[in-house]
Amino acid sequence: MAQAVRVIVYVPRELRKECGGASTLALTAATVRELLCEVERCHPPLYRCICDETGAVRRHLNVFVNSMHLRDRQGLDTVLAPGDEVVIIPAVSGG
Amino acid sequence: MPERVVLAIGTKKGLFVAEAAKTRGRFELRGPFGPGVAVYATLIDTRSTPRIYASSCNPFFGMKVLRSTDLGKRFKETKAAPAFPKEDGRALANIWAFETGAGKKELWCGVEPAALFRSSDGGDSWELVPGISNHEHARQWQPGAGGLCLHTILQQGSRLHLGISTGGHYLSEDGGQTFVPANQGVGAGFMPDPYPEFGQCVHKIAAHPAAPGRLYMQNHGGWAEWDGPGGPRPHIGVLRSDDHGKTWYSIAKGLPSDFGFPIVVHPHDPDAVYVMPLAPTTRTCPGGAPAVWRSENGGMSWTRLAQGLPKKQSYFTVLRDAMDMDQLKSPALYFGTTTGQLWMGRDGGEAWSCLFDALPPVHCVKTAVV
Repeated sequence: MAQAVRVIVYVPRELRKECGGASTLALTAATVRELLCEVERCHPPLYRCICDETGAVRRHLNVFVNSMHLRDRQGLDTVLAPGDEVVIIPAVSGG
Repeated sequence: MPERVVLAIGTKKGLFVAEAAKTRGRFELRGPFGPGVAVYATLIDTRSTPRIYASSCNPFFGMKVLRSTDLGKRFKETKAAPAFPKEDGRALANIWAFETGAGKKELWCGVEPAALFRSSDGGDSWELVPGISNHEHARQWQPGAGGLCLHTILQQGSRLHLGISTGGHYLSEDGGQTFVPANQGVGAGFMPDPYPEFGQCVHKIAAHPAAPGRLYMQNHGGWAEWDGPGGPRPHIGVLRSDDHGKTWYSIAKGLPSDFGFPIVVHPHDPDAVYVMPLAPTTRTCPGGAPAVWRSENGGMSWTRLAQGLPKKQSYFTVLRDAMDMDQLKSPALYFGTTTGQLWMGRDGGEAWSCLFDALPPVHCVKTAVV
């Protein structure tokens, strides 16, 4: 079982008002799924912007661990390492 | 303060508010609020201090409800937006309707996927209404082109009428506790059985408080030429009910097309009803010449209203919530187009002028006199 580690979450500018203006969050979790639970616990409005009611990451948001997209790793079960940077970036979709 | 005419205009790129004196000589435009985010539903609640509500459904970051208490000079997010319970398995995709409820601060909200929410505190908290949201038919409803949406909410005392695309018309006679499909006479062009119990693509339903039991419906018409199973089904698009929606009959005779999206009733005359017929295949103005059609006898005959509207080369669409009428003595009709124009028809649509020519595509228009 993976150990909980300290990681940094980078919050996009559009969502910083949902977490008191912070551009980064230092949180402790073993996996991305646990990390999102921490976001929900500490910053519920921010969580609702990142995930829908089912817990899925919103379709037009991309989540990277360091430089790799979640879909190229193990999705929400991706294991985190100490000091990992978790980056949330809106997709380029739209019109 | 003298009476003012207020328009709430929901667009693909945010909400605009227009305000004018009751002469309607010049409308001042404010906005966009919630810039860049599509607004499919607005409400001007005039029960006490006027409040303007707007949905703000951001495909990136989720759903918000915006509220203004100063006639649309500023908007703030309500404390919460409708959300399905985590264990439900559905996720909110869009907000399609706001309506006032019976209580002083009670609101209804129709959403996609088709479900109904209720707020008793002016939009700061919301609860799912299970009688329709978890109806035994709910998992059989199918999305129309706009999505599987609950777009029409009409409350008449303890009766609650809902329009769902594609689910049909559902009626509650106990204040929203339980619902039954009420679609006898409402055709479905896209199903082998032309008159199913439910599953119709209802586009909009309208009523007038002075005519209890009477409802008008713009249904998804345009299937007169169908030659497959079930045969042609002309005149299924514009309908009327005189028994609280339990049975419906066609009032489409005389219209150039029974396809369209909005249907609006005159605020002072329950016999006067307005539609915007569109070509069924393209869903644009027939022949490129837009016109509103009015009946003054409850749908028995229709008159074309196009003075001031373009005579050619206009191929826009007017969506289901993009037409409304103010409540002045001689009311004006308004409609917004998918090409970003906002038109006003004075004297009940007799004389049209373009108020705004280059807004983003218009999804919805609501008006009130405050």
